[in-house]
Amino acid sequence: MADPQDRKLKDAQMRATINQKLVETGERERLKELLRTRLIECGWRDQLKAHCKEVVKEKGLEHITVDDLVQEITPKGRALVPDDVKKELLQRIRTFLAEQSNI
Amino acid sequence: MTMGSCEHLQEYKTTHGTNSFRIIHTYFIACSSADARRRKAKSCVCHTCRLHGPRLHACLNCIYFGCYGAKHIHEHAETKGHHLAVDMVHGAVYCFECGDYMYDEQLEEIARKQYTKSKKGIGLRANFSSWEPNEVEIEILRQNPKRRKVEIKSSIGLRGLINLGNTCFMNCIVQALTHTPVLRDFFLSDQHSCQVLSQDARQCLVCEMSRLFQEFYCGARTPHIPYRLLHLVWTNARHLAGYEQQDAHEFLIAALDVLHRHCKGYSDNILLSYNSQLNAGTSDSNGSGNPHHCNCIIDQIFTGGLQSDVTCQQCNNVSTTIDPIWDISLDLGPGPPAGGSSNSNSSPNSGFTNSPGTYEPTSLLECLKRFTKPEHLGSSAKIKCSTCSSYQESTKQLTMKKLPIVACFHLKRFEHSTGYHKKISTYVSFPEELDMTPFMSSSRNNTNGYNNQVIQESSRGLSCDNKYSLFAVVNHMGTIESGHYTCFIRQLKDQWFKCDDHLINKALPGDVLNSEGYLLFYHKQILEYD
Ligand SMILES: [Zn+2]
Ligand SMILES: [Zn+2]
Ligand SMILES: [Zn+2]
Ligand SMILES: [Zn+2]
Ligand SMILES: [Zn+2]
Ligand SMILES: [Zn+2]
Repeated sequence: MADPQDRKLKDAQMRATINQKLVETGERERLKELLRTRLIECGWRDQLKAHCKEVVKEKGLEHITVDDLVQEITPKGRALVPDDVKKELLQRIRTFLAEQSNI
Repeated sequence: MTMGSCEHLQEYKTTHGTNSFRIIHTYFIACSSADARRRKAKSCVCHTCRLHGPRLHACLNCIYFGCYGAKHIHEHAETKGHHLAVDMVHGAVYCFECGDYMYDEQLEEIARKQYTKSKKGIGLRANFSSWEPNEVEIEILRQNPKRRKVEIKSSIGLRGLINLGNTCFMNCIVQALTHTPVLRDFFLSDQHSCQVLSQDARQCLVCEMSRLFQEFYCGARTPHIPYRLLHLVWTNARHLAGYEQQDAHEFLIAALDVLHRHCKGYSDNILLSYNSQLNAGTSDSNGSGNPHHCNCIIDQIFTGGLQSDVTCQQCNNVSTTIDPIWDISLDLGPGPPAGGSSNSNSSPNSGFTNSPGTYEPTSLLECLKRFTKPEHLGSSAKIKCSTCSSYQESTKQLTMKKLPIVACFHLKRFEHSTGYHKKISTYVSFPEELDMTPFMSSSRNNTNGYNNQVIQESSRGLSCDNKYSLFAVVNHMGTIESGHYTCFIRQLKDQWFKCDDHLINKALPGDVLNSEGYLLFYHKQILEYD
């Protein structure tokens, strides 16, 4: 077994490489587009939008910042992403990585 | 939160211009070349912690990237006094003096143009944007302040139809069409711009459908009398005129045909290129004679592409044609079994014969398996092979090349042979959710039919692009001579109603699935936007 410190470093390196590949090939944008579409389709976007409206109404448009909003809705936003969507994205990333010979 | 710009950003623009924003946006946010993407991949890291984010921002005053998550960009703004930074994911400008994002029209215009360019560069379509009312529409909305909200309990969209004398066949189809989600969206958003000359506008069936949708969704609860529709159908499809009972399937196809003919012109719709893709696929086969080279709303919704592969038994040459279809008619009578295993044989196609067997399908899936199974055409139906230049025995297989948005399955319960007419009343089960993947042309494999398709399907089981949901079922009760049509329609997500002419009653999903289905309407779960 490699020591945890070493593994952490390797993980970070791997993450950076993968991210680089995703950006370079444009795949990251494609994934984002896919995610966007899926989130619209499953109603996630509407649900979150409604929630945002509530928050804004409650605090008043003048007094709220994007940061406030982000803080308020992030937990709900994360929790509401359907498992199917996560699985599909994961599968897409796996397929993409399998196609990259030089990682 | 402001909806515009702030004094700091305005001041910045006067002294520095918009060039830095443009450069950052072009090279690090929305890249339109492979070169720019490579650069972005390398350099988009926080200059303080070397991570890729979260929420990387670029300083507008100097060359510095910092993450927002760990507040490195905040530190930079504070120590250097550089108070404006661009979010490197969304391109919005943050002002550290005001403590929020700013929405500057000039910068947003630059960003919009860049995004469109960069999407094209990687083969993505332009962003789907939600509807924004124009000035005319805003005025209409102002003049009509009453809003209708569809809620779980609301009965909006439910309306009985008076039977005008054996017209239950029409009423059922009207119910199914008015509850077809994409068609409803089309009509309720007033997308039909009539191409028929104004004095003939009363002759346009599409206009009549528009009025019908208004009748259905205006909130009225009394049954509607569809006499104008009936009249229009009679004048446009003469074979359906008269007060006899007609076949609901025949009526559906006739109605779609008249609607398609009256649509004319091209509608500017998000689904526009759906059919051009289909047509592109057919152009090398018998495309020129194709009657559905059309982008009308009917073709956008109902047209699928049926691929037919004819394999010559002599030389194994495959000739492929793709035909547009509005519905899939499925045989119920006895025939060869659909399962592949009993046919496995050393010579792949020899197991299939044309002679009728005793097998009768009892589910929609079995019908579809049979429909897409390779069929040996036999010695009496030889086809001219272009490679052999002679008539040869061959095998034919049908598969779905392109799935329609609404798939309509017609279970052939009525048999009309010379000398006798008969109705098949066997129960055929059908699912609430249907995956068409195994019946796609892309799942077609060399010769073994369905068996291998299942394997292929499970390996890509995560794709839900080919999934459908049931939303309407037309039923026929009684005999071929005297019968009655009713239908089930789905409202909202999973509320079912039974429509029996002017009567509408709540139904359970079980009632629907246990009914003797004649026409089954499925709606695609996921739509591709163009
Ligand atoms: Zn950082
Ligand atoms: Zn700076
Ligand atoms: Zn400011
Ligand atoms: Zn019209
Ligand atoms: Zn058409
Ligand atoms: Zn041949």
